[in-house]
Amino acid sequence: METVVRNYKAKDYKSEVKPIWCPGCGDYTVLNAVTRALAELALPPHEVAIVSGIGCSSRIPAYTNVYGFHGVHGRALPVATGLKLARPDLTVLVTGGDGDGFSIGGNHFMHACRRNVDLTYIVMDNQVYGMTKGQASPTTAPDWEGSKLTPQGTGINPFQPLVIGLASGANFIARVSSSDPVNMAQIIVQAVRHPGFSLVQVLSPCVTFRPEQSVWRDYVRTAEVDYTDDAARAARRLMTDDGFNVGKVLFKGSRAPYRPEFERSSGSIAELESRFML
Amino acid sequence: MKETQTDGTEVQTVPQLLAHALALETEASERYGELADQMEIHRKTAVAAIFRRLEVAEKQHLAGLAALCKDVELPHYAPWDFKWSSNEGPETIDIGRVSYQLSVREAVLLALEHERRATQFYVDVAAAAKAPDVIALARQFADEEREHSGWLQNCLAECGADDSKASEDPDPPLCQE
Repeated sequence: METVVRNYKAKDYKSEVKPIWCPGCGDYTVLNAVTRALAELALPPHEVAIVSGIGCSSRIPAYTNVYGFHGVHGRALPVATGLKLARPDLTVLVTGGDGDGFSIGGNHFMHACRRNVDLTYIVMDNQVYGMTKGQASPTTAPDWEGSKLTPQGTGINPFQPLVIGLASGANFIARVSSSDPVNMAQIIVQAVRHPGFSLVQVLSPCVTFRPEQSVWRDYVRTAEVDYTDDAARAARRLMTDDGFNVGKVLFKGSRAPYRPEFERSSGSIAELESRFML
Repeated sequence: MKETQTDGTEVQTVPQLLAHALALETEASERYGELADQMEIHRKTAVAAIFRRLEVAEKQHLAGLAALCKDVELPHYAPWDFKWSSNEGPETIDIGRVSYQLSVREAVLLALEHERRATQFYVDVAAAAKAPDVIALARQFADEEREHSGWLQNCLAECGADDSKASEDPDPPLCQE
């Protein structure tokens, strides 16, 4: 039998399309971390798919050389779920932002965690809608006054994606910073390898509409404790941290991924009709 | 965030050094190329030209290095296993440190800082290595990095008053008004 040596480099996963993000944007770093992780996983590009919704960060499929689907706002997770169930042989990553994932796609997010299909969801959280020029998102602090739509802030407590992900059943939870693409790649490798639904929150500053986030790189610190497989302990940690503990996996669950068994079908219309007959 | 601060002292063989140099130069070349693309897309042609010039220089460096590696079996390092203290390679400019208003002078200073870091990495390897062939090769690489720093220092000396100004944005984001 012929031995195939697969020696992939990060560049092999990048397309010829040049990103149009603002210089300094954390999303460049995420693109670099994803491609580094895929190279380290030695996954042939045709065995990987990246699915996204709408937003600056959702442009990632265009910038990669793997299968891609740039879908409808907030609907990346249902598309990715269908793809993974139909093609379990593919490694499916989902990328997007906080608005796409936690507001427009908020319900899909919770149910994707609950279903626990073997997906890796990378959310670039910049606490703002950047593509539409800077409105408050579900993770924006209540007193942020940077948008004329919310001149005195939203006054609403921000969505806590990792806590909600954990409560909804996500099987792997981590937080990373775009200031460390190598650590991010390492975490993405673990997320892809861990069975079930993996949630990776990336603190990814919006340098244009939230320039004050440039100090995040100074605030972030490596989490002091390693991951736990105890959801209650993970929840306590998440509820008491300030959001800047990064760089390590917080939770690894052992729930089996959702893999429905399908009966083989002849594909005939009559057979399909008989299955759905009331 | 990297927890080990090794600065190359664990590089003791020629294949280890070549593997580090190859990653260092590849990353630097690709990053200069990415930064040049970013600046071109935002029509910052003067800053883009600096980064493009450095990308070309790094590619030339890389071609020579690839020839050196031709018959050498290189050890595999995961990106997080390289023995440098920075997160990415020492010559790789952190994307978070650029902005669309970067001046020519700031771009030159940023590149100079990273070229010096690369030189220092090779100097540290040479200082800590025991094998004469590793020491000689690390010193050679350090000298090559110094050439890039020299070019950047000349650029810096030629920077005029306009090159130090942040690029103006006639239509700034609302939150920056």
